[in-house]
Amino acid sequence: MLLQINYKSGKPVYLQVVDQIKAAAASGAVQVGEPLPSIRPLAEELRVNRNTVAKAYTELESQGVIETVPGKGCFLKPNQSPLKKDIRRKLLIEEIDQAVVQAHHLQVPAEEFLELVQERLQAIGELKRSSDQAAKEAL
Amino acid sequence: MNEPAPVIEINGLGYAYGSADAVHDLSLSVQPGRCYGLFGRNGAGKTTTMKCLLNLLRPRGGRVRMFGLDPAKAEVEVKRRLAYVPDYVAFYPWMTVRETLDYLASFRTHWNRETERDLLDRFRLDAGQRAGALSKGQRTQVALIAAISPEPELLLLDEPTSGLDPIVRREFIETVIGAYQEGNPGKRTILVSTHLISEFEGLIDEFTIMDGGRNVMTLGADAARERFQKIRARFAGAAPEAGFAGALQVRRTGRELELIANGAGAQIMEQLRGLGPESLTSEALTLEEVFVATLRTGSERRLA
Repeated sequence: MLLQINYKSGKPVYLQVVDQIKAAAASGAVQVGEPLPSIRPLAEELRVNRNTVAKAYTELESQGVIETVPGKGCFLKPNQSPLKKDIRRKLLIEEIDQAVVQAHHLQVPAEEFLELVQERLQAIGELKRSSDQAAKEAL
Repeated sequence: MNEPAPVIEINGLGYAYGSADAVHDLSLSVQPGRCYGLFGRNGAGKTTTMKCLLNLLRPRGGRVRMFGLDPAKAEVEVKRRLAYVPDYVAFYPWMTVRETLDYLASFRTHWNRETERDLLDRFRLDAGQRAGALSKGQRTQVALIAAISPEPELLLLDEPTSGLDPIVRREFIETVIGAYQEGNPGKRTILVSTHLISEFEGLIDEFTIMDGGRNVMTLGADAARERFQKIRARFAGAAPEAGFAGALQVRRTGRELELIANGAGAQIMEQLRGLGPESLTSEALTLEEVFVATLRTGSERRLA
């Protein structure tokens, strides 16, 4: 898993770390039970404030993406959000709305937008399948 | 929740060398655990401000508090809790690196030998070498070891990486993040003055831009990157001559427009969209670009 901070994105740095680790989990770049880099080396590597990485990990933990095992580090958890289904849906709808608004302004019509969503679901799904396969073979 | 007491509190600070104003009515405060940047051009008053915090200079006006204490009255107590790395580091040339560190450690009540050893290894420094034979980069590395080993609550860094090669600069910043911040993250506070802003970008939580001894702007780093935007639009014909409320700068070249927005990005984007551009993009400014845009606009305003 390689993270990269982009200061031109306008997104808070800790959220960039959160989103990239979530993306790595969704695409299988990090597997369940696999340890995440500890805070200090990750902060040094990205050359960001240690507290920024700590804040990102706290956020990931509260979202149920990772768990901290005292003395051992942080691990990716099985995909089980602690939130109820309707809340999870609501959170996702907010994100979809943003993409829909963006699509309007970028003049991407509805059909093309839906096609793109299909395409991305497939692409990320394939990445995940091949990573999962590789992880299984490594065992 | 109560805000914790600030580690550094500056209220209306003023200082002048003879009749030349160096710092004028400067106010800022640094909370514990934060990394605070002091950005300014050469001569903006950054070093003078640092020296007032250290009681190396007596303020002509205003008030300075370190850990809630007056550095002029509680000088020893204040200095016990901080470490200072200046831009120019000097050691006794006849002492070895080992003797230099032991000498500096003798002034401290606490000194982490393990950290000292790790950093000597990391920087590949020869403890037996005489300080007089060290390069500028190596002197800065020894100064950094001497600043971090006592595990102080506050690290004052005054242009610490200027004049160093890129590898040494990188290692310096990684060391501040790793070896210093790791110890007790909530209490390790940093005040760094620099004009090499991009190198410290990821470390800075909050910053003040100084110019001519004055506080031009204080902002959180994430907030600054959200507020300042560079917007580019390209049109089929000549770029429109419209005025844009809230634009700090507008550059017009043929069919293209480039605007710097300070907080009004959304409105400007909306206005541009109404003009039917061929393409329209926006990106955040890095802290260095925020610095340049802020000072350039300021000087244009003064000239106008």
